[in-house]
This record gives sequence, structure tokens and C-alpha cells, in this order.
Amino acid sequence: METVIEVKGLIKRYGDLNAVNGIDLDVKAGEVYSILGPNGAGKTTSVEIMECLRMKTAGEVRILGFDIEKGQKEIRKRIGVLPQSFNAFDYLTVKENIEYFGGLFDRRIATDELIEAVQLQDKRDAWFTNLSGGLKQRVGVAIAMVNDPDLIFLDEPTTGLDPKARREVWEVIRKLKSRNKTVILTTHYMEEAEVLSDHVAIMNEGRFIAMGTPREIIDQYGSGNTCVVKGANAAAVEAVRSAGMIHEAKNGDLLVRMEDKGSLIKLVGLLSGAEVNYDEVLIKGSTLEDVFLKLTGKKLAEAEQ
Amino acid sequence: MKPKHVMVDLKGQARSFFRIKSNLFWVFAFPLLLIVIFGAIFSNMGVGTVTLKVQNLDEGAGSQELLVSLNQTGMVKLEFIDPSTDLDQYVKDNSLAHVMVIPANYSANLAANVTATVELRLDETVSTSGTVFNAVNGVVNAKNLRMAGGEVHIAIEVGSIVQKRFTFLDFFVPGIIGLTIMTTCVFNVQGTISRFRANGIFRKLATTPMTPFEWLLSRILWHLFISFLTLAVIMGFGILLYGMNMTINLAVILMIVAGSAMFSALGMIVARFVKNEETASMAANAITFPMMFLSGTFFQLELMPTYLQQVAAVLPLTYMSQGLRDAMVYDNQAGAYFNLAVVAVIGVVFVIVAVLITKWEEE
Repeated sequence: METVIEVKGLIKRYGDLNAVNGIDLDVKAGEVYSILGPNGAGKTTSVEIMECLRMKTAGEVRILGFDIEKGQKEIRKRIGVLPQSFNAFDYLTVKENIEYFGGLFDRRIATDELIEAVQLQDKRDAWFTNLSGGLKQRVGVAIAMVNDPDLIFLDEPTTGLDPKARREVWEVIRKLKSRNKTVILTTHYMEEAEVLSDHVAIMNEGRFIAMGTPREIIDQYGSGNTCVVKGANAAAVEAVRSAGMIHEAKNGDLLVRMEDKGSLIKLVGLLSGAEVNYDEVLIKGSTLEDVFLKLTGKKLAEAEQ
Repeated sequence: MKPKHVMVDLKGQARSFFRIKSNLFWVFAFPLLLIVIFGAIFSNMGVGTVTLKVQNLDEGAGSQELLVSLNQTGMVKLEFIDPSTDLDQYVKDNSLAHVMVIPANYSANLAANVTATVELRLDETVSTSGTVFNAVNGVVNAKNLRMAGGEVHIAIEVGSIVQKRFTFLDFFVPGIIGLTIMTTCVFNVQGTISRFRANGIFRKLATTPMTPFEWLLSRILWHLFISFLTLAVIMGFGILLYGMNMTINLAVILMIVAGSAMFSALGMIVARFVKNEETASMAANAITFPMMFLSGTFFQLELMPTYLQQVAAVLPLTYMSQGLRDAMVYDNQAGAYFNLAVVAVIGVVFVIVAVLITKWEEE
């Protein structure tokens, strides 16, 4: 498959601070690649260098085969960008905003087609300022597609949106993928990366700490399945403890790690003991959230502080 | 430079500019309000409308004749106090600066050839007292002369040394055109740049093929259009409502172009050097406010103390307003082109600085 983005040893320094501390990245055509991490991890700085918005300090970056410094003009024509905390012109309508940005490119997609692609037909003539956050982001995606780019950067497209609006933006991103666009998505929502991406790079403090498909990362760094025993009594906790299973008792719940295939049968046996009592049992798979916790010792939300 | 990119941004501005209510206010309502308010205040000054309160206790024909003559001078406007009113109390209550009393025996004395008296009470500290005294004195002298059967031996012929009489509005309206162009250009351009930087539009534009120079050019051109609109609206208003006599000539057009570009560039410079949105708007205020009052928009520079005149001499609006006045009203082409040259030089410098410092985003 054709390589769309090639990054080797990218470094960005602000004074003493290494915002990006030597990352490598290889993105193939047609995939959704997520860069996942807490605020301040260096995601936006990294993609803004790829979008020709910032200068790199060191390293090698090639976008669509063009060198990031020599080929700026060519790259700009061929990429689409939804910048972080995107805004268009407040007092232009959705249609007029798309026309404005379309007018700046030689190659462009018809405005109506874009409006349809992001499902904003009934907001076509509404002023941008009067749109909700989710609708504004969809306008942003439409504008990012205006020059029919092969590569689209979406920098935190769902930050600050409510869950419903977030899902609507996801739908639009899925459509991009179905149009064979390569999408670089930065996000600090684990769920978003898991649901949407072909590949994920987890970033923390300027470095990638894990890369691969969501499945690969979870398998490699996740803690496997966990059995949650809700409302477990003291006898249940004692039974699991004396059987030597890895566990954690939290808020009346007993979390038991499923270390191997036999773990589940073993736990069920323990739970049928005479004194043992519980309300409910469920099995939970590992998530990227767990991976992040395991890799950094911090929860995502904590890492942001 | 791609003209197409400039056109795209111009079109965007044309579509959105008047959707913003405050733009309508600053371009249309604000200058017209200023003209109406200040026109009303100042046009009453110096035109024969000093009010003289009269208490006429006399009922004869003599006092009526005196009052008619006084009215004919056009120098005072007579208002009457009821004869039964306690005059001392009335003067105090109404803070009168001048009042005239015609005693009850005025007509009788006049008919009997006894010296008749009118009483004139003046506050000498008030400048209009002189006008009142002169009006009454003139009427009384003329009457004395006629009654004594005298002839006029010396007459005064009054002529004006100015060819046209200029009113306050003639002075004021071109200044308002300059002032409005300054405020619209500086505040709009500064406001737009500060806002676009804060809300990320510049970050988005930076990802397009449009260059900062193309954007800046479009903004200057758009405000040029707005400035000509300002000129048309204010001129039309002055001509239709006040019957003013203003002309458009090459000097006026060049002055609008130079002044508008100069102030748009000033707005860009302010917004680039002051990063914070609110501080930038305060800085724009700090720059335009002194110009509003010290550049001879509201008062003639000659009326200001020397040190303030020296301040005015370094303010660009001074030259723009004076140049517009020279070109539009005073028909002083030499003065107009001198002022135009000053504005053009400052304008070119400002625009060059603005072009050099304009970029989409700070690294």
C-alpha cells in the first residue's frame, strides 16, 4: 500500500521544553490513523507540523511524497485540515462558508455535495454563529474536504461535544473512510480511537508509547479480561484471595483478572462456596483506557492535570 | 499574489459585513447622530438668538413701538414676563443674565416730552450682555435721533472679508467624515484580526493557499469601499438635511483612499503588537480617542492651547480632516494637496509595516 505520511525522528522544541520528542510514524493510504493521548501530550504540535502550520526542530517528515519544508505549497493544495477548536466565519451561512474556502482551491468539490456528505442540508442557509458545537464541527469537516484532498487531518474533532453530537461526527468520519480518504485523527477519547481507527499511536509527554491496531495494542498491553463480581461479600473476597487469584476489591465490587483460559472456571467454582454471596457477575474486556493506565500509571484524566 | 483569493475574501466580507448590527451603527448611525447633535448645539451660537426677558409695565403705544424696533434688529429674541410678577424673585429663580423693564410711565413721559427711562439689568460677566446692551442702545439712539429731528451724517457700511460665509457645519461635517473613516477602519480591522486569531480562523486560513498578504489586501480594499460609503452617506445627509455645499474632486477621492488605507493599516499594526483581544481593543481606543478630540473635528485647532496644537500636529487625523475640509468646502486646493501628501506618506509607511508584520499565526 502507498505510504501517505512518513515521519522519522520528529522533534519540536520550545525553549527547554521538548513538545515532540522524536516520533516515527508511517501512515498508509485509506486508513484512519488515530493519535491518542492526554492534553499536552504533543498530538496537536505533531499534526500541525504535518499540516505545515508549524516548523519542525529536527527530523524528517514527508507528506504525500513531498518534503514538509520544500513542498509546502503542494502539500497545502492536497490536504484537508480541521484544526483544533475550529471556527468558520460567524456571519456567513454554512453554504457561504464552504464556498469561501472552496474558492481558495483550484480543485474543488461542489458545495451541495459537501453539505450532503456532512448531512447539513437543512442548515444550509443558517449562519455559522447560530450552529451548535456538533454542527460547527461537521461544517469544519465539509470545509476540510472542499479541495477533495487525499489526506485529511481532524484535530480533536469531538472535544467539548455531547455524546450524541460526538456520534454524529463519528458517522461523518466513517463516511470519509468509505470515500477512501486517509484520515489522521487526534483525540483524547479512548473510545473514539477504538471505534474509528485502523491504527492507533498512543502519545504521552512527546513520545509514542504504543502503536498498532487497537486490537494489537489491547492484546499486548491490556490486562486481558476482568471478571467483575458485583456486591461480593467478605467470604467471596477471602475465597478469591486464598485461591491466589489476582484481584482488587473496590466499592463493594470484586475485580478478578482472567489470567488464562482456566481462570473463569476456577472463579465460578470459588463463587459457588457455601458462605459466598454476590449480586451479579460480568466479564469486561480490556480497553485502550486500561492500556494507557498500565503504560503510564495514570488515568487519562489524571494525565491531563 | 492571486487576485482570485482576494476576490474570495472580498465577497465573504460583502456578504457578512452588514449582518453585524454594530457595523451598521458605526458606519451610518454614529456619524449622523454626531452631526445632528453637534449641529444643533453649535448652529445656535452667534446667530441672533440671545433671549432678552422683558417686563412691560407700560400699556401705551410708545413701549410697543420700542419693542417692535428691538425685535427688528434681529439681535435679540424677546420673551415677556407678566407685569404682576415679582421681578427680583423671578430673576433669581430663573438665573437670568439680562432683563429689561419698561416702567408704567414710559409712554406718558414720552408723550409729555419728559425723559422716559427703560431699565436694563445686566450680568456683566456673561458675554451676551454686550449684545443685549448694543441692541437696546442702538434702538434708543436711533429713536432719540429721530425725535430730535437729526440727520444721519455718518453711516457704516458692513461687508464681509470672507467670500463665502461658512457655518459650523461646513467646518464640522468633513471632520466627521474623517473621524468615521478612522473609527471604522481602525476598530474593524483590529477587531477582526484579534477575533480571528482568538477563534482559530487564521489557523484554518493558514492551511489554505491564501497568503496573509492577499488577506490583508482584501481587508484594505473592503474598508476603502466602506470609507467611500461613509463619504456618500454623510455628504448626502449634509446636503439633503442642511443644504450644505460640498464638492467631490480628485483631492477628496485621493484623501479617502490614502486615509482609509492608513487607518486600516494602523488597525492591523495595533492588533499585531497587542496580542490579547481585549487589550488590543483598549489600545485601539487609546490611539483613536485623543485623535477624536485633538484633531480639530469638534473645535478649530486655533481655539486650543499651543501645546495641544503641537500634539494635533503629529496626529494623522488632523491632516485628513483638514485636507477634506480644504477640498470639499473651502475650495483650497493647495491646502488639500499638502494635507494629502502628509496622509499619503504616513499611509505608505503604515501599510508597509502592516505587510511586513502580518502572518497567520505566531510560531
